[in-house]
Amino acid sequence: MQWTIDHSSRARLQDQIAASVRRGVVNGELPIGEQLPPAAELAAALSVDRNTVLAAYRELRDEGVLEFRRGRGARVTSEGPALSPVIEAARALITTARLHGLAHDDLVRIIKELT
Amino acid sequence: MTSLPTTDAGPQPIYTGRATNWPMVASTCIGGLLVVLMGRQANGPWADLTVPLVLAAVGVLINILTASTLRVTAGPRGFTFHWGPFGWPRSTYRLDEIERAEVIDLPWWRVSWGLWWTPKRTCCTVRSGPTVRLVLRNRRTVTVTVPDPVAAVAVLDQSLNQRRG
Repeated sequence: MQWTIDHSSRARLQDQIAASVRRGVVNGELPIGEQLPPAAELAAALSVDRNTVLAAYRELRDEGVLEFRRGRGARVTSEGPALSPVIEAARALITTARLHGLAHDDLVRIIKELT
Repeated sequence: MTSLPTTDAGPQPIYTGRATNWPMVASTCIGGLLVVLMGRQANGPWADLTVPLVLAAVGVLINILTASTLRVTAGPRGFTFHWGPFGWPRSTYRLDEIERAEVIDLPWWRVSWGLWWTPKRTCCTVRSGPTVRLVLRNRRTVTVTVPDPVAAVAVLDQSLNQRRG
């Protein structure tokens, strides 16, 4: 799977790692049962501390996305975080944008600028 | 939470993948069984199986620990492969060692079914089909099975281009 980490971003590294896993789960790169790389190997590849990777894995375990098993590492347990709150928020955003006369491209540009 | 020193700013893509060498696992188990059966003397007592059993168990254990699963990472720190649950054998090729990365279509008769090293090439292949091949600056080639070779090569190309400016 592909991870994207921005060391110059203000977002915490553990949140960026967790976001990469969530993205991989949602787009099917990480099916249920898939084992994630060991924390030490992933930390070396991402140029981060091992504890940062472990913190991201723990965050995902608390969300129910991953499970830890002794000797089997971290594995994907769910099809990903529920997207319905995001979809609802996006619908509300589209409605508001239309009320203010914004076109599709304007809305996309604003989202890109903010993210 | 700290980040280790890195020279590149901006989003950095990193590819990770895992491939399991099922033929090696199966052949290792069959080989271990054969060692046990051949080690038993004809019409001898089954108690004499201790030595062949221990030999077979050690052989199977070593092979499964070192040649069952292949994990790969590719990105700004180069290309790394790790074998087995303990991550050994392993090797890393830094970006400045890599001339180019490409996807090749590996025929089944060229699959090494594990780690294979010669002075001109290193092979870590566990199946046929699309495979990553690195051409190093010293003209050696490194051929490695990854689940998504196109994505791995795209990430490596991006890292190589960033490094070369």
